[in-house]
Amino acid sequence: MKDSTRTALLVGVRTLVAAACVALVVVERRTIGWGHLGIMLLALAGLMALLASYNRRYQ
Amino acid sequence: MLACLLPALVLFAVFMVYPTVNVFRMSLYTWSGFSPDMKFVGLDNFRHLVDDDQFVRAFQNTVTLLVVVTVVTMGMGLFLAAIMTRQKLRSRNFLRFVLYIPNVLSVVVIAAVFSAIYDQNNGLLNSMLRLVSLDSWQQVWLGDQKVVLYSVGIAMVWQSLGYYMVLYMSSMSSIPEELYEASGLDGASASRQFFSLTMPLIWQNLRTSLTFFIMSAVNLSFVLVRAMTGGGPDSSSEVLLSYMYKQAYTNSSYGYGMAIGVVIFAFSFLVSLLMSRATKREPLQF
Repeated sequence: MKDSTRTALLVGVRTLVAAACVALVVVERRTIGWGHLGIMLLALAGLMALLASYNRRYQ
Repeated sequence: MLACLLPALVLFAVFMVYPTVNVFRMSLYTWSGFSPDMKFVGLDNFRHLVDDDQFVRAFQNTVTLLVVVTVVTMGMGLFLAAIMTRQKLRSRNFLRFVLYIPNVLSVVVIAAVFSAIYDQNNGLLNSMLRLVSLDSWQQVWLGDQKVVLYSVGIAMVWQSLGYYMVLYMSSMSSIPEELYEASGLDGASASRQFFSLTMPLIWQNLRTSLTFFIMSAVNLSFVLVRAMTGGGPDSSSEVLLSYMYKQAYTNSSYGYGMAIGVVIFAFSFLVSLLMSRATKREPLQF
């Protein structure tokens, strides 16, 4: 696979995952409960993991 | 040396260390906040938190505001800063001035402005929607449980956006133009320049502001919620700090309020720490 294609795919996947995490937070907020709060915190952790994965190659 | 540091250390101990330790200590007691009767109850306050639906709702609202407002503010701040720095807009200084104004205003003034904008009958937002024949989109922006939190979130974004935009603009302005010229000659597009050149070179600034914003968002949400909705309707816009305030000072459950304070402290500290770790990298020299 070409480098440019790989980079474009990676950016696409990261954008999708980030959007999914934000959507998950918004959707799970509608129902009150520890389980839903847990999922929201997981989504928050997912966003931070995404940031860490983007940042890893610069460390 | 120690004598020079002593006044600062004393002030730090009296106004920072002692109150923080006291929050942890008080979370182990039941106390009304006024009476001399204080009873040690161990971890009972924390056990009650587990069964408290209002606390869970406030926690969920806090996480929602933290995620949504941070993503929108940082994303828009970076985007606007890049546009205003790289594109030579004629009205750049005016736009920067307009976007920075909310940061100078008091949060209570901002709450009053947005309460007027969101007014159900004569508010700017509903009037505009009526004007463009989008009557069905009209909402009771601060009275509908589904939208009230996002209405507060928009006010938070409006308040913070200008500050972070100016912060990023100052970092971007210090990047030498030759780097952009060289990358342009190599065929880099504007987006490529942004992600491969601008972002790495302003990363330290971005990192610091992100960590700082997480902590300030928790505090800012409290002030706006208190001033705009008071946590309502039916606690649907309650955030952790406003719930803590309500328990400690309105409900006279000071110990329980402090238990919520401990959770807020632990949560803010953990998120800031993880964010700091996730964004850590060697600073680039240019």
